[in-house]
Amino acid sequence: MRQVRRLAAVSREAATLGLYVGQKATDAMALTPELQTAEAEPGADAEALMALVDWCVRYSPAVAADAPDGLFLDISGVDHLWGGEAELMADFRARLAANGLAFRLAIADTPGAAWALAHYGRDGTIAPPGGQAELLKPLPPSALRLDPEAAAQIARLGLRRLEQILGIPRAPFGRRFGAGTLERMDQALGRSAEALRFRRPPTPWMARLAFFEPISAPEDMERVTTDVTAKLCARLEAEGHGARRFEIAFHRVDGKALPLAVGLSLAGRDAKRIARLFQPKLETVDPGFGIECVTICAYEVEPVSGRQVRIEAGLAPSVEDGLAPLVDRLVNRLGPERVWRAAPVESHVPELAVGREAALGAPESEARAWDRETPRPVRLFRQPEPLEDVTSLLPDEPPRRFRWRGRLHDVARAEGPERIGDEWWKREIGDVSVLDVRDYYRVEDAAGARFWVFRAGLYSDPEAPPKWWLHGLFA
Amino acid sequence: MSDFRGSAKIAALRAKVAAIETGGRADVGVLSLGDSGIDGRLPGGGLPLGRWHEIVSPGLETETAAAPAAFAALMSSPLAKTGEAVWVLRRDDLWAPGLAGLGFPPERLIQVCARDEAEALSVMEDALATVGVACVFGEIEAVNLTAGRRLQLACEKRGATGFVIKRRPYGGTAKVEAAGSVAATRWRVASAPSEPPAGEFGLGAPRFRVDLERCRGGRGGSWILEADQAYSWEADDVAHPLRLVADLGDRELAPAQLDDRRAA
Repeated sequence: MRQVRRLAAVSREAATLGLYVGQKATDAMALTPELQTAEAEPGADAEALMALVDWCVRYSPAVAADAPDGLFLDISGVDHLWGGEAELMADFRARLAANGLAFRLAIADTPGAAWALAHYGRDGTIAPPGGQAELLKPLPPSALRLDPEAAAQIARLGLRRLEQILGIPRAPFGRRFGAGTLERMDQALGRSAEALRFRRPPTPWMARLAFFEPISAPEDMERVTTDVTAKLCARLEAEGHGARRFEIAFHRVDGKALPLAVGLSLAGRDAKRIARLFQPKLETVDPGFGIECVTICAYEVEPVSGRQVRIEAGLAPSVEDGLAPLVDRLVNRLGPERVWRAAPVESHVPELAVGREAALGAPESEARAWDRETPRPVRLFRQPEPLEDVTSLLPDEPPRRFRWRGRLHDVARAEGPERIGDEWWKREIGDVSVLDVRDYYRVEDAAGARFWVFRAGLYSDPEAPPKWWLHGLFA
Repeated sequence: MSDFRGSAKIAALRAKVAAIETGGRADVGVLSLGDSGIDGRLPGGGLPLGRWHEIVSPGLETETAAAPAAFAALMSSPLAKTGEAVWVLRRDDLWAPGLAGLGFPPERLIQVCARDEAEALSVMEDALATVGVACVFGEIEAVNLTAGRRLQLACEKRGATGFVIKRRPYGGTAKVEAAGSVAATRWRVASAPSEPPAGEFGLGAPRFRVDLERCRGGRGGSWILEADQAYSWEADDVAHPLRLVADLGDRELAPAQLDDRRAA
């Protein structure tokens, strides 16, 4: 089937010549022979939009993309950093223009009203709080982002301006034009909320520092890390909250944002400690031509009670004083899989009987503690090591002699067997075999070394005797 | 001669020398090992806390270090109950049910697996200087003088006790040992054949042959010790997990007289 090539976007000069979006390319080229065309790349456009969304994080972390060519930026609570909405918009406009983009901006109470004003209203409108109804009146109904059938129906009825619609009572309006249209109108006027899909989870806990000149020296980056962390933590402290995850982003002059994240095991707000956790990761940040702005966001914020500084040394130190900072330092330096506490797991298979849990803040587990009366080795190898030259007299007897890592051991005393079978209830019934057992023996050699050896399988076939393995070492 | 030995001047002089040796800091205390013969060899009547100690193992155990780990856990389980314990590993083959059976509380243990020697030493230092940590165990290959002094300074900050278990987990040749050592005590531990109770078969309670090779302010000795309460439900209730089975003497001349002088 032959595809028709249509115009996806037209420039201003082309629009004045009468070309429009959706026109067949052949028609357009016939009308204006000097037309320059380029292939539309929707994929690259989407990526560029995402990059722009990431760039906008420097203004506010709550940015949502509005495909294909717009974005929503939630600036509630951050405009004071620029000294007002008008200044913020002017700064935004200057930076976007410097990047060579053509755009239209609008600020309003609700996303719906802002969309309408940006697409159909005057460029640069700032709607006063609650006053967007006035500004929406002269706009056409399609400014409400209606679905095509509702928009066509409204157009058929001859309603060309929103002020004709805004006055209609709600019940007949919903009956006539559909619940979707009613909802869009409510969203635009602020009567109902609209949920936007933000690029990052929005958080009101954010602090920002912008610099007069871009910085790139390492000591400057350390200093701004400390400063911006102190700013955010002061706010957290004033509100009695602490956070478990802090994410700092360095915004470079060329628009890239480099994030670093730090986690705490207990919610905290100690600025010095958090800044020190960031220090080792600062080396991985490449400032490029310079960093012009740094933002920090706090996630997983919860109320944390303040504590008096303890003076007595006799009382047991609290966890927050010593152990939590130590665990945080180790986890952030080595990674969470290298710091753990052993937790009992209810399983009689040795390699599964020990689970790992976080050193601090792990939930209480219901599993029973390990049985102390059955002797268990202090060292357990991850992979049991094979034994050679194992001699044992009868099938059920412990070995009399074995060779491990090239050395021969003569067994003086032995205990066992302790039969540990596979967990047959966890597998398919067809895979279960009676021969998947291990007979564990605790043996002691003439010198006093104690080993935990097992024989894998039973003596069923004289040609292929079962193999012996060493699983662990006792005290 | 006996009143010369017991005179107050000698006692005061001894206290002065001890103060110089500890550098004027207050002593954190000692951990008694349960037997007066062993406690008599250690300065202050027990294992000095607030210092770090070295445990080496001969032969095959240089790579696996099961007996030294068990000995360290047994010796310090009364101490671990007063705070948190941190174990720094190079190879994560320490098995918590084994420690639980010996009486060491595994719920108070935080395990850290370091990537190399330098990191293991720095994690040990960090943990020793933390409030709330009572003892830190580290499996290190070699501790040179600088690292040893740093460990000592870290111990002195909060009075925590460190145990360095010499281990070469990945094989290879042994490095040349530094001539001096800053450790407060140095033990050489190996497994010893066990004796089951009369009339029973199998293995008895775990036994260790322990040599106190070097001790600051004390004297060395050799003993065979047994963890007689291991693998029982009373294991974590005993005050002294290790029991003396035999004193092997220390090959010095006239041991009895020297014992009297130091035991005061």
